[in-house]
Amino acid sequence: MIKLQIERMFDMNNLMFHSKQLPVLMVLLGFSLFANAEDFTDVNFIVRFANLASYYAGDDGQAKVRMTIVDKNGKKQRRQFNMVRKDVNEGGDQNFLIKFTKPADVRDTVFMVAKHIGKDDDRWLYLPSIDLVKRIAAGDKRTSFIGSHFFYEDVSGRGLDEDEHKLIDTTDKEYIVENTPKQPESVEFASYKLWIDKVTFIPNKIEYYNKVGKLYRSVETVKLENIQGFQTVVRSKISDIQTGGYTLMEFKGVKYNAGVPADIFTERSLRNPPRKWLGK
Amino acid sequence: MRKGIISFSLRYPEFVFAAVFAITLFLVWQIPKIKVDTDPENMLSEQQEDRVLHNQIKKRFNLSDSIVVGLVNEGKDGVFNPDSLSLLRHLTSRIISIKSVVAPDVMSVSTVDNITQEGEGVIRFQWMMQTPPTGLEQAQQIKQAVLNLPLLKNTLVSEDGKATAIYVPLTDKHESHRVATEIKQIIADLKPAPDDKLYITGLPVAEDTFGVEMFTQMSISAPLAGLVIFILMWFFFRSVTLISAPMIMAVVTVVCTMGVLIGLGYTVHIMSSMIPIFLMPIAVLDSVHILSEFSDRYRDGDDPSQVVEEVMSHLFTPMLYTSLTSAVGFASLAFTPIPPVKVFGIFVAGGILLAFFLTITFIPAFIVSLSQRRLKVLADAAASAEGSNVGLAKLLPRIGFGVINIPKTIVLLVAAICVISIFGITRIQINDNPVRWFKQQHEIRIADKVLNKHFAGTYNAFLVLNNESNDEVYDDFLLAADQIVEKAKPAVDISQDWGNLKHNLSGKSALEQLEEMTAIVDDLIFESEEPEEKVWQQILDRAEDTYKVVKYFQLPESIKLLEDLQSTLMQSGLVGKTNSFADLVKTVYRELKGGKPMNYQIPDSSAAVAQTVLSFQSSHRPNDLWHMVTPDYGSAAIWIQLKSGDNVDMDAVIKSVDDYLKNNPLPKGVKLEWGGLTYINVIWQGEMVNGMVMSLLGSFIIVLLMMMMLFRSIKFGLLAMIPLSVTITFIYGVIGLVGKNYDMPVAVLSSLTLGLSVDFAIHYIQRMRDINANTNDWNETIGKLYAEPARAISRNAIVIAVGFTPLLLAPLVPYITVGFFLASIMAISSVVTLFILPAIVVIFRNKILATMSLAETDVDEAASQLVDFQESDNDKTSDREDV
Repeated sequence: MIKLQIERMFDMNNLMFHSKQLPVLMVLLGFSLFANAEDFTDVNFIVRFANLASYYAGDDGQAKVRMTIVDKNGKKQRRQFNMVRKDVNEGGDQNFLIKFTKPADVRDTVFMVAKHIGKDDDRWLYLPSIDLVKRIAAGDKRTSFIGSHFFYEDVSGRGLDEDEHKLIDTTDKEYIVENTPKQPESVEFASYKLWIDKVTFIPNKIEYYNKVGKLYRSVETVKLENIQGFQTVVRSKISDIQTGGYTLMEFKGVKYNAGVPADIFTERSLRNPPRKWLGK
Repeated sequence: MRKGIISFSLRYPEFVFAAVFAITLFLVWQIPKIKVDTDPENMLSEQQEDRVLHNQIKKRFNLSDSIVVGLVNEGKDGVFNPDSLSLLRHLTSRIISIKSVVAPDVMSVSTVDNITQEGEGVIRFQWMMQTPPTGLEQAQQIKQAVLNLPLLKNTLVSEDGKATAIYVPLTDKHESHRVATEIKQIIADLKPAPDDKLYITGLPVAEDTFGVEMFTQMSISAPLAGLVIFILMWFFFRSVTLISAPMIMAVVTVVCTMGVLIGLGYTVHIMSSMIPIFLMPIAVLDSVHILSEFSDRYRDGDDPSQVVEEVMSHLFTPMLYTSLTSAVGFASLAFTPIPPVKVFGIFVAGGILLAFFLTITFIPAFIVSLSQRRLKVLADAAASAEGSNVGLAKLLPRIGFGVINIPKTIVLLVAAICVISIFGITRIQINDNPVRWFKQQHEIRIADKVLNKHFAGTYNAFLVLNNESNDEVYDDFLLAADQIVEKAKPAVDISQDWGNLKHNLSGKSALEQLEEMTAIVDDLIFESEEPEEKVWQQILDRAEDTYKVVKYFQLPESIKLLEDLQSTLMQSGLVGKTNSFADLVKTVYRELKGGKPMNYQIPDSSAAVAQTVLSFQSSHRPNDLWHMVTPDYGSAAIWIQLKSGDNVDMDAVIKSVDDYLKNNPLPKGVKLEWGGLTYINVIWQGEMVNGMVMSLLGSFIIVLLMMMMLFRSIKFGLLAMIPLSVTITFIYGVIGLVGKNYDMPVAVLSSLTLGLSVDFAIHYIQRMRDINANTNDWNETIGKLYAEPARAISRNAIVIAVGFTPLLLAPLVPYITVGFFLASIMAISSVVTLFILPAIVVIFRNKILATMSLAETDVDEAASQLVDFQESDNDKTSDREDV
């Protein structure tokens, strides 16, 4: 019963659905599990819902983010930035503004990303010490996110249509989904697996396999917090198994639905980032 | 003791055979555990300073030893045509999947990033070649793109576009032969067009391939040496029975020595792989003496045991001395600081002593076990074999009499040769290069040549700069922070927290402390309230200012330092290319500023550098950065690509940097280090040269003392050292004059010469003293001396020299060198002995002969045995001549 209700709420033909319903959905989902209801079997539903839960909480969001990049020798580098996000449409395009606060030598460097589904993102960069605004055309989204082990795609989400999804197992706690790229040439992995939590729909773990089937990269959700009713990953760790390095990403001061205006995502904001949203 | 051993062997031959068999079997069983080691790095001990540093550098910059695969197309469009690039792409993607390949670091046109301008204010980062080009035009665009990036030009793609490379870093360089073999298989699978030529090289491949070929050499050359010695001995003695015992003994000696070496866990290095071929001829010699004397003395009906005891009582001491001197010569290699050479020297020495022990146990046991019939055959065969020495029998006396007629001329001639040789020695070029261990036509040599023609160089060295002034800077920071804390009092008192923080961080490096402090203080600011927050913020600001200075290689003036060193390196004329953080920063900065060549420069502030780097880090390969600079910016490496792996060239490069630094000293606190295999080779070679001088001096003195002891005379002791000294001088003089590089095998030869060629002098002098004591007539002495004794010396020289010749057929150059020089050394030292000793004796006749007769009166046991030994030789000869 409940399962049907949820699937109905989720418009299968349209990625968009009202995120304000998300907390409601979560409650229903929790209830459905409590009631020992049937598992979901439609893989498309599972991955879409996981995508929404992971990347589209609220209409907008803001956070302080710290990245600790550790190489195989244990050498650490820290990066800290303030981030603000606004969804253009739910499950679809999104805009991001990122302003660095640490280390001092990259302070006030600003990134702006316009995430597009089905085509290349637009990225802008402002480098204060060179006083330079640059638009960056990137060939793909699987490039390092500011030197960390995360890719842009890990931070902003991978287009669901780019992979074939297959539900390979359902355990007590998780849905295990295997994903294979529709265009294998365009990515460095051969497949990846998601361990999607049945309650939160946040992947607990993601593992990437290379062309010989070897695991070479993994993402773990280390800590989850309920913020304003949204399950939020506040600490995640990505490990580069090949090189032995990893990056830890931590979120602080997360706020959703703060009313971020759409008009701050302009080239002007690169040189003059809105203090209200990105701090001084 | 001696008597005990021999008579025991004679009484219980079965026991001797069983023991030898059992021990041999046990040691044979060890051999399959063999571990081959061809790593030139192991020429230095693991604790050696430069090696430790080299490995630290590799770790610090995540550097791996690499195989280089070259794709060359000499056609009009070079490799930049759709077919070749498609091949390259397939090859690369399959190489990435090979086990032990560091996949993220594989460098190929299809795995690197491109930065291009795309209209006003737009810069594009993308794969250089994600999909194979569809047409020629697109292929040529890729060429332009690669050549536009200084870090890749002439490293990844040759300037003429005819060649491109794939750099294949390995997790473990000992896997390189397997990886190279897999790559060859992939290439065969991909069926390249005839125009696309593929080459595989790189030092790890050379080393590993060497290891594999070493087995070939051991399984071919050593048995071949055995065969040659067998044939040669058959020629001299004409009895299979007689020579089979020494042959068995030689095999047992070789197998046991190698068995012990492997069983004890030593790796078989290029040096130790030569042990069999060294032991084989040496092991044979003494037993031949015994057998030939036995066959002379034995007459039908004699008790073989008694004859053996007689023979042994004569031969024991001279055999002991010749074995000891040879062993000392080899054991002196233990003075070198090169572990594989040490192992080689000690085990050959041990093998020689083992051979001696077997000579006094196994050979007697062998003889008494022979049937009467066989013993008779043996005696007859030995007698009939003399005919084969006719040539020598005619030639040698002529030499003897010729020399004593013109002794001064001979001495002057030898002196002149020595003078010229010493001049030659001064011109010796110390040089080695593992790639040159292969013959000219070997595929590795060809690949090496082709790839170095097209690219900047396949030999790597690293010049590293370290900033070590951080502790001082950090202390200044702490002082300033303390003041901030004090000044805030009493309104705000964070002194306790601050004190704890300092305490908890102490003991770590300045940089780590600063990094952690920044993070912790940052958290404190996050958590604390207004007034404290402000104080912490002040400390944080101060920490960040300090951090900027500590991030030394992010400062423009430090990057300039790298730039200057790079141009110095290029000016040496021996460096194909250098790559450093400076090149990376300048390239990215140029592209950020619009791509014009004029913007190829270092940004003007540390922050501008940081932001330039941050832009680069949003690429597919952000980690490439850490091969050039450490994440803390405290250490930067210049990758030097050399076209030649010759140590002389590397040495010259080091010297050019040293010269530059004399006039342009590094800033205070900055230290320079070298690393890379090409550099390591220079180091171990230097150690080897010094080590060899020590080892040569050491063994010279020991052998000299032994000679003085043996002859109970300082004069004769010195005389005995003359032939080998002349030989060593001559050999190295020739090496210097003909321009042959003084490399590892050549270096080892000196001690070997010493140990082996002193034997000739021992025999010669002892015999001379003895004959002269009897004849008291110089002419008669010479006549007798140049009959059998000279013949014995020549015969031994020939056996050893020819025994080494199978090395000339070896597939690897060091073996050929050793084979050639050892054969020459044996020949030369026997000739020198036969020429120079009589000449000197004639000139100083009065003094020396006086001593001789004096010495004769108080001849000790050892000397008398030597005399007997020689006498018996003489008897034998006359017997034979009678037949």
